Amino acid sequence: MIELKNVSFAYEPANATSGAVHGVNIHLRRGDFCALLGSNGAGKSTVTKLMRGLLRPTDGSVIFDGQDLKTVRTSTLAARIGYLFQNPDRQICKNTIREELRFSLMSAKVDEASHEELIEAQLKEFGFNGDEETATMSRGERQRAALSSALVSRPELLLLDEPTTGLDYLECKQIMECISEQNKNGVTVAMVCHDMELVLDYAKSCVVIDAGRVCGAGTPQEVFYNSELLEKASLLPPQLIELANRFELGEKISSAEDFAALIMERRRSG
Amino acid sequence: MIAVKSFSFRYAGGSRAALDGIDFTINDGEFVGIIGRSGSGKTTLTHAMSGMIPHYFRGDFYGSVEITPKNGVALDTVETLPDTISQFVGSVLQDTDAQMVTSMVWDELRYGLEGVGLSEDEINSRVTEALEDVGISELADREISSLSGGQRQKVAIAAILALRPQILILDEPTGELDPKSSRKVFELLRRLNEQGITVIVVEQKIMQLCEFCKRLIVLNEGRILLDGETKETLTHGDVLERVGVHVPRIVSLYNRLTEQGAKCGLPPCTLDEAEKMVREALS
Amino acid sequence: MKGLLTYIPGSTLLHRLDPRTKLFISLLLCVGVFASSNLIYLAAVLLLDLLIGRAGNVFRQTFSIFCKLLRVMLFLFVLQLLFIQRGDTVVPLLFGLRITNVGIKTALLVVMRLLAATLPLCILLMVTKLDDLANSLVVRYHIPYKYAFALTTAIRFVPEFSKEMQEVIEAQTTRGVELDTRNIFRKMALIIPLCVPLLISSVRKIDGTAMAAELRGFNRRSWKNMTSSFRFRARDIITLVLAAGVAVVGIIL
Repeated sequence: MIELKNVSFAYEPANATSGAVHGVNIHLRRGDFCALLGSNGAGKSTVTKLMRGLLRPTDGSVIFDGQDLKTVRTSTLAARIGYLFQNPDRQICKNTIREELRFSLMSAKVDEASHEELIEAQLKEFGFNGDEETATMSRGERQRAALSSALVSRPELLLLDEPTTGLDYLECKQIMECISEQNKNGVTVAMVCHDMELVLDYAKSCVVIDAGRVCGAGTPQEVFYNSELLEKASLLPPQLIELANRFELGEKISSAEDFAALIMERRRSG
Repeated sequence: MIAVKSFSFRYAGGSRAALDGIDFTINDGEFVGIIGRSGSGKTTLTHAMSGMIPHYFRGDFYGSVEITPKNGVALDTVETLPDTISQFVGSVLQDTDAQMVTSMVWDELRYGLEGVGLSEDEINSRVTEALEDVGISELADREISSLSGGQRQKVAIAAILALRPQILILDEPTGELDPKSSRKVFELLRRLNEQGITVIVVEQKIMQLCEFCKRLIVLNEGRILLDGETKETLTHGDVLERVGVHVPRIVSLYNRLTEQGAKCGLPPCTLDEAEKMVREALS
Repeated sequence: MKGLLTYIPGSTLLHRLDPRTKLFISLLLCVGVFASSNLIYLAAVLLLDLLIGRAGNVFRQTFSIFCKLLRVMLFLFVLQLLFIQRGDTVVPLLFGLRITNVGIKTALLVVMRLLAATLPLCILLMVTKLDDLANSLVVRYHIPYKYAFALTTAIRFVPEFSKEMQEVIEAQTTRGVELDTRNIFRKMALIIPLCVPLLISSVRKIDGTAMAAELRGFNRRSWKNMTSSFRFRARDIITLVLAAGVAVVGIIL
């Protein structure tokens, strides 16, 4: 689906180390839901921007569906790759959601005949009626509006840069459920996220980035139980796994239900 | 001390009251967490306590908010200008980018001290001390635009600390930080609290609030839903869940265990307490 | 714009001069170039500007601004040539238009004046902390602080604004808006509708800054309460006299 081959990138001026990446190799397969983990300034956002062609690698290449992104103009892939930023204010520029979705389709040059159908389907999926005013929406609603406009052209790949920062728990959950639903329908997802609990709940795989280099990868379980790797990348595991690590449990838990069931079973068996 | 009495506020032009019938007192030396969904009135409450309401934000104001400095008399925020209140109450705003009023770190810390009539030596020593307190002395001569989010957050806190506030109010101080950096900010707050500063922090990240705050206030739609010791508040898991505040996962574990008949006492707030709970459940 | 027009720390003589001295030098140079119509004088001042940049250890940045301005000026130059039709024909053009000797002289004059007057102000911003400049004006000349604050904030927001713009451009490019086009006019046409979200977020940010300032004693900041160490020294007086000399030469010529 998308592959970063030995990609390096540095921001100008050259002394800015924050966000630079060196010799990164990442390969996402169709249907994957990959979380990019790392501390502030490790280079996670740089990776998503490279995947979208917003930044051009200084070395190495980014291959999307067999095409080297170097040979493609960034704006032409809009219909195939959706992108959601942390701050919806920079994405939303129309007064109502319907106009916003139409603007997305027009910009992405989706065939005009299918616009109405796509817009209606998208509105229905997100439970919008279409006439909501984007200016008066809450932060969480705006983020959902921005997500819907990234999805309206039915992209194959969805890139998310901290999509839940600044949202409350229910808003987070709503956004993540939408994204998870997309993934079940076959959309490949790459997500930068600081909330390890969300990663544990939703992601299928993780790539750990530290100081611009990939230093580990695996399923969320594999990564979160690898304390050496977490230490190296300055990450904290989800609370329950940190707790589970203090016991010799013999198996990997991933939710409070798992953990409680395990404890109760041990109690019964003595 | 902060005393909020039957306080309601509706922003000019707002359709409904942002806060409605708020009553509470925060004593000197407390470490209080405030949580609630977006739009529940958390930020409005911080503005009320810093005196920005009613002097910066206009609207309908009912009830009273009183700030009592140590060894001083109560100041009503309606009658007292924010200039006076800001000498006791320090506020770190939600958007720390916007909070920066100068371009260099050193000047940013000096800013609040320059208009107070302090001597140059006194100003410089206070700035140095605040930088050391937060652990960012090496950033003194940096340009603010060259700092990372975490560093800016610390500069924002240091700039307020330089004013030597008795009460520190922070609105989502770890919003954009990774878990490790957020933890460090909270550890800093705990240290300041131990030095005698009253700390009031608004957050979405309940895990940290539970671990660090002794008291938790839960807001919902402009009203106080729960207010009490953190542990006590956490026993109302169902109420919290209903208003969209999730409990930390160790508390979910506690809830599952008690549902299934294990006796676990009060909910755990820290990992150590959770470890103790699991050990007891297993034995 | 990135990195230009922002303060670059250093310890050169220029950095150590009183902020007011630097402001006055820039203004004196402006007076000189606007008073004079002598092309040689203007060229000399331009050279002097670059040398000042060198003295402040910001030559690379100064030169880069110079080149950027030059591009804008070239456009201005051509416009002037086409608009001024008085004087003797030097080169006849189509449609009865012509390039005249008066046109060339006036266009050169305007362009060089603007260049020579803008550069010192740019250098001023690179070797002076804005807050020092504002504070010195408040403390020494009792300028109301709110005006000084408005000025420093406005200048400080220029790079913030361009950063914000960059992010809006990125966000819109991902959804297919062709902001990666090479056609500058097309790009302009696409950007203008996007200025609405940009304005909204900037106003929000400025509002936050105003509130933050107020929370830290904005209203207490007047010359009465502020102490400071700003004072003119020998180096300030010498450089000021030199700059005044340059201005006087400009007025005479």
